[in-house]
Amino acid sequence: MNPEFQRNLWLEASPRRLAWAGVVLLLIYGATLAATRDNPLGPLPALGGVGAAVFVACAMIWGARAAAGSVLSEISDRTWDFQRLSALDPWAMTWGKLAGGASLAWLCGLTGLLLSVIAGLQRGLPGLGVSVVFMVALAVLLQGVSLGAALIGVRKARAEGRAARAGGVLVGLVVGFMLLSWVAGSSGFQHGAGLEGFQALASARGFVDWGGKIWPADGFRAVGVCLFAAWAVIGAWRLMRLELQMQASPLVWPGFLLFVAVFAAGFPLRTGGLGAALVTAALAVALCAYAAAFAEPADRVRARQFLAAARVRDLPRAGRFAPATLAPLLLAAVLVLAAFAAGAREGTGLPQAGALIAFLLRDLGVIAFCRMGQRPERGDFAAIVALALLYGVGGIVGWSMGGAQGAALFAPLSAAPLLSLVSGLVQAGVAWALAARRIRRMD
Amino acid sequence: MSPPMIEVAGVVYDYPAARALHGVGFSVEAGSVLAMVGPNGAGKTTLLRCMAALDSPTEGKIRIAGLDTQDDPRGVHEAIGYLPDFFGLYDDLTVRRALTYAARSRGMDAAATPAAVEEAAARVQLSDRMETRAGELSRGLRQRLAIGQTIVHRPRVLLLDEPAAGLDPEARRALSELILRLAREGMTIVVSSHILAELEDYSTRMLMIRDGKVAGGGVVAAGAGTRDGLRVEASFADAPADLAARLAALGLTVERLDGEVAVILAPEGEDDSALLARLVGAGLKVRAFQPVRRTLEDAYLAEVAP
Repeated sequence: MNPEFQRNLWLEASPRRLAWAGVVLLLIYGATLAATRDNPLGPLPALGGVGAAVFVACAMIWGARAAAGSVLSEISDRTWDFQRLSALDPWAMTWGKLAGGASLAWLCGLTGLLLSVIAGLQRGLPGLGVSVVFMVALAVLLQGVSLGAALIGVRKARAEGRAARAGGVLVGLVVGFMLLSWVAGSSGFQHGAGLEGFQALASARGFVDWGGKIWPADGFRAVGVCLFAAWAVIGAWRLMRLELQMQASPLVWPGFLLFVAVFAAGFPLRTGGLGAALVTAALAVALCAYAAAFAEPADRVRARQFLAAARVRDLPRAGRFAPATLAPLLLAAVLVLAAFAAGAREGTGLPQAGALIAFLLRDLGVIAFCRMGQRPERGDFAAIVALALLYGVGGIVGWSMGGAQGAALFAPLSAAPLLSLVSGLVQAGVAWALAARRIRRMD
Repeated sequence: MSPPMIEVAGVVYDYPAARALHGVGFSVEAGSVLAMVGPNGAGKTTLLRCMAALDSPTEGKIRIAGLDTQDDPRGVHEAIGYLPDFFGLYDDLTVRRALTYAARSRGMDAAATPAAVEEAAARVQLSDRMETRAGELSRGLRQRLAIGQTIVHRPRVLLLDEPAAGLDPEARRALSELILRLAREGMTIVVSSHILAELEDYSTRMLMIRDGKVAGGGVVAAGAGTRDGLRVEASFADAPADLAARLAALGLTVERLDGEVAVILAPEGEDDSALLARLVGAGLKVRAFQPVRRTLEDAYLAEVAP
């Protein structure tokens, strides 16, 4: 047996904990039975509902917390170095923590899922199998993301000279999710990305238009969540490799970016054509660049090593130390250029494409500058404030000075694409010059 | 000649705000017990963590048991045992389970694990507490369990960072005996400390780290059993008043004479028994006769001397 899985079983699923979990579940299900004694349909419908709630509470919420805890408790108990000294391969360590750390949560959750399935079968619900796959995949996705976030938290904390804490990781996850969903869910982004029909996917009702074809929403959602769950586990594995001092595979991150690009591009393909699909892909990849900029440790030493290797054109070494933002930046640039070459926006063209990339480059420079300071633990917050000021206050000031032309100085607007391009490039140059100075400095 | 068990070449380590190691290089022969000494903040822990393949040096190479720490960190982990200065234990695991997990996670075969667990427990004298939870052990016993976890997979190299910190004298003595036993079995051991007396009993070599650099002459012989050149300390009963002259007449150089005790520089090529026979033959009543040992403190002071 995988020693990491076994150790987690020893700790998580000890006979005493199993007994307590059994008692609690019996109380919940017993109470449901008692409350539905007089129900003419019998207790199963109610038990199915309660079972679904138990699955959500246990497999998704408790399981996600346990998956993160399987790393964060090692930090607080000072056993993480002992783990990192293990000779286990990263995959054994990853699945050992995922399955073992959340073993009791899975056990409890699956009792609920079982009741839910039995209730569904009795009622003859259509698409029950698809729903079960979706529920299980969503639990795996949440646990994978949670483990990955914990590993990101550990790496960030080490680079910032502090210890990772569960609270910090949770706040990071929530804030990151809120920011990403705020941007991705904003009408501007959805309009720009041609994703107005995205809601059908979230609710799993009706049909989804993807890749030029119409798909049943529930099946599409289940497959999509399965794929994202697989990527979440792969991501956790990649981060575990880094924690175990192994070199990261150069294919995983670009592979994920391509997957995101294809996934996003499929939605507007039929209605907007190739150009619109490429714009959507570029915007999704650009969001990944922002996420990566915040998720990567603020490690000045690593940045120096990258710059030194790049200076002497030692590409393999430079590749090892390359910032995670580089791949999405390049891919987004290629996609935007391709989109405009494919005629995505008539009347604008290359300057507008260049402006989008220039502002992405500027934003990454601003984030790097804020995070590479003497107090990197405050860098994330400072970067968010700086970007909010640049787009918000800068936009208002620009608009009040010169309308759309003025606002184009602070955002990549189609009203004055050439002005946006020049302004974006100048700001990107300033931001990166300041960031490079901070990176090079030995305090 | 077999290659060194530990090879460190040009290791530089940077923290964001400062350089911790400045091109450190040395090698350690198999079977040595190396005392890594130096003041607090000298870079000992950083160096040990790089040697344990827990951190990657900014520049330079480290090979442990022939394995490069950056190319094959997992292989290095299988070959070494490392006990950090601040370690943790799985408090809810019993001693048996903690040792079992340590052995299995370090690549030991499942079939060989139970015997290795019993052996490690016996080495650290925890055989009678196999079913006790780690959280219930005293500080000294926790230290023993941590060392047991470190050696259960029978590593070729053992790296210990301040292992005696916080231990009572009895536990320190037990630790010294354990290290001596492991060294006799052929394990290469590196022990870091800033307290020289702690290392005196078992070290055979010394490396001094100061301000992130190797100070003095690199790895030097010192500590347990290391003879200080040709020096012999002899103690005489009824020492004659002209003791110095009589020793000089025998062709011996007297480095120090303190009443009845003399530190003599033995002639090159003459073994101790022959020298003793000459002293007795000259009518001197030799009460004690022993080669002078070079303590770590002697070596340390010699290295730091301007």
